[in-house]
Amino acid sequence: MNRTTQRWIVGGIAIVISFVVFLVPFVFILLQAVKTAPDAGQLSFRWPQEWVFWDNLTTVLSTDDGLMGRAFWNSAVLTVGSVTIMVVLAAMVGYVLQRRPSRLNGVVSFFVLAGLIVPPAVVPTIWVLQKTHLFKSMSGMILIEATFGLSFCILLFRAFVATIPRDLDEAAVLDGAGPIRLFFSVVLPLLRPVVVTVIVVQSVTVFNDFAGPLYFLPGSDNATVQQTLYSFQSRTLSQYNLLFTDILLTTIPPLVLYVFFNRQIVAGMTSGAVKG
Amino acid sequence: MRGVRSTLRACGFGVTIAVAGAALAACGSSDDSGAGGKTEISYLVVAREGSKAGAQAEIDAFEKANPDIIVKLDTFPEGADGDNLVKTKLSTGEMDEVFNYNAGALFRALQPDNQLTDLSGEAWAADLPDSYKKVVSTDKGMYGAPLGQSSGGGVLYNRKVYDQLKLSVPTTWSEFIANGQKIKAAEPDITPVLQAYGDAWTAQVPVLADFANVTKQDPAWAQGWTAGQKKFGQSPALTAFTHLEQLGKSGLVNKDYASMTNIQALKALADGKGAQYPMISDQLPTIAQDSPDAVDDIGFFALPADDAANTTATIWQPGGLYIPRSAEGDKLEAAKKFVAFVSSSEQGCQIQSDTGVAIGAFVSPVCKQPSDVSQAVKDVQKYLDDGQVAPALEFLSEVKGPNLDKITVQVGSGITSGAQGAKQYDDDARKQAQQLGLSGW
Repeated sequence: MNRTTQRWIVGGIAIVISFVVFLVPFVFILLQAVKTAPDAGQLSFRWPQEWVFWDNLTTVLSTDDGLMGRAFWNSAVLTVGSVTIMVVLAAMVGYVLQRRPSRLNGVVSFFVLAGLIVPPAVVPTIWVLQKTHLFKSMSGMILIEATFGLSFCILLFRAFVATIPRDLDEAAVLDGAGPIRLFFSVVLPLLRPVVVTVIVVQSVTVFNDFAGPLYFLPGSDNATVQQTLYSFQSRTLSQYNLLFTDILLTTIPPLVLYVFFNRQIVAGMTSGAVKG
Repeated sequence: MRGVRSTLRACGFGVTIAVAGAALAACGSSDDSGAGGKTEISYLVVAREGSKAGAQAEIDAFEKANPDIIVKLDTFPEGADGDNLVKTKLSTGEMDEVFNYNAGALFRALQPDNQLTDLSGEAWAADLPDSYKKVVSTDKGMYGAPLGQSSGGGVLYNRKVYDQLKLSVPTTWSEFIANGQKIKAAEPDITPVLQAYGDAWTAQVPVLADFANVTKQDPAWAQGWTAGQKKFGQSPALTAFTHLEQLGKSGLVNKDYASMTNIQALKALADGKGAQYPMISDQLPTIAQDSPDAVDDIGFFALPADDAANTTATIWQPGGLYIPRSAEGDKLEAAKKFVAFVSSSEQGCQIQSDTGVAIGAFVSPVCKQPSDVSQAVKDVQKYLDDGQVAPALEFLSEVKGPNLDKITVQVGSGITSGAQGAKQYDDDARKQAQQLGLSGW
């Protein structure tokens, strides 16, 4: 067997595996989303007896006075807001941590790692939110999501800053750039690959978060898209057709994000990965 | 020196964040007080299509009758997430003024004495049957108003299959098995007994629904269980597990029992592909949704005991409406009015039966079941009228091992014997009882 055939076989197997792992579940979602409730309840791969996708879609969109639309808006605000905070703050912290070694570094790194390891406690967090009058408000939720994601982002940025030559900083300082100008005009643009990675990874995490908004942002006006899923499923009566239509709708934004930014994600992940 | 400077910088940074937070808080604050002198309360129900529509209809009617009160509907998910959410809301004082939650063991886990408002002084409370009061009370007070209907646990069966083969409803376990054998012999395509371990919780039903038969033989069994004296490893409760083992070994169960889901089993039962399914009658809405034409083909009988004299239907009580301690003043008054309206006014009852599918019998004496209910509901009602019922164990004791579903799946699949399963469950329950701090375990 020569090398080309071997490569073809390996490639073929890889394609088949990714097909099974990624496309089959997606096709399954699509199939259930076009069926009627009794048909979808069987959860089978059979061809739909009746195509009612449009009915399902309108039912899902009109449930609870158009909760779905509100939920999409809430999710968008939450995701954009918290990811912006994460990117800006984490880039700053990562930059300072890498560039300016001091005795505080150990302490800061400790807290960054603690942020990754220590699980968030729900009730005390709510107490803090109540004291600061941020409970049940979108701004409070944005800060919480930003806090949850910050540690991971700082680690990514810190590793990446190490790859930027110090000479660039020094040149900018010599040319008269102050610290703010130095960061925003010189360093941040160079961090682009890792910024894209952080945006994509954290957007998907925040967008997909179910438990966070459930506890910290109660109330049906504040529902995010993940919260709409449980409207269609319970122990006594399940409407799998509507559930899967809902899933289909919620899957679209992350999917689009991945399709467009696929290459940058991989580039950002690997460029910072091997340097400390 | 350098360290000091860094500290200062770090502080400045902290201040920046705090300011940003405050600014965000300022732009996101919302006004909570009711508009125009009206009292606003909120009502939390399980997020489920049926219950939401019903709750909204109740709210509309209530607001019409009480123009100075506004009720907002909120929802929470069913299952472990929902349980955590309810507990979180209660312990942070954020609970809605009225909320709907399970009665029995789950209700007791809410620490009702510290968290809920005592409703025993309300006008409707006096008329409630004792059997329901028990499941929403502690030693110190009565906290819940019934919402919905109690349902029967036993066996749902397809009456067409029974008529066709001229079978009669079994009153003993051996008759039940014999009926299964007859079905198997006469109609090889029909599954005599359906089991659906794709939803593991369904495997518990044969054990849980046998409990009324235990109570019949030993009325004080539940108290003994809570005190740690009675065990599933001993007679009479042991039969629940040995019967499940026999059922698994009998060859009467569908071949795909390990993967079939509850919905699939209900569909098979309605279609006549399965003859009997040990289940609780609160699943009837699924049959009404998926197989509307077959609703009247479904009947119900109690899970048979070894001795016909002991065969009794097990009753599941509906959840209750509760008011948290955090509701005060006008809001408390409005909440009490709303609870009374929904759970025990004629209009509230009417809405309950109009918006839901009947699954058993109403608890509140004010509520009357319409006459055109399905056959299974009539069958459940007959057991109630004859007094051949007893509550499920979860309404009599707070001890329920968390792994019963897994243990019953093992017994039903023939992985462990009934006696072993019963012993495992006793161990499982012991751990939970110790966590609850009960003596005697």
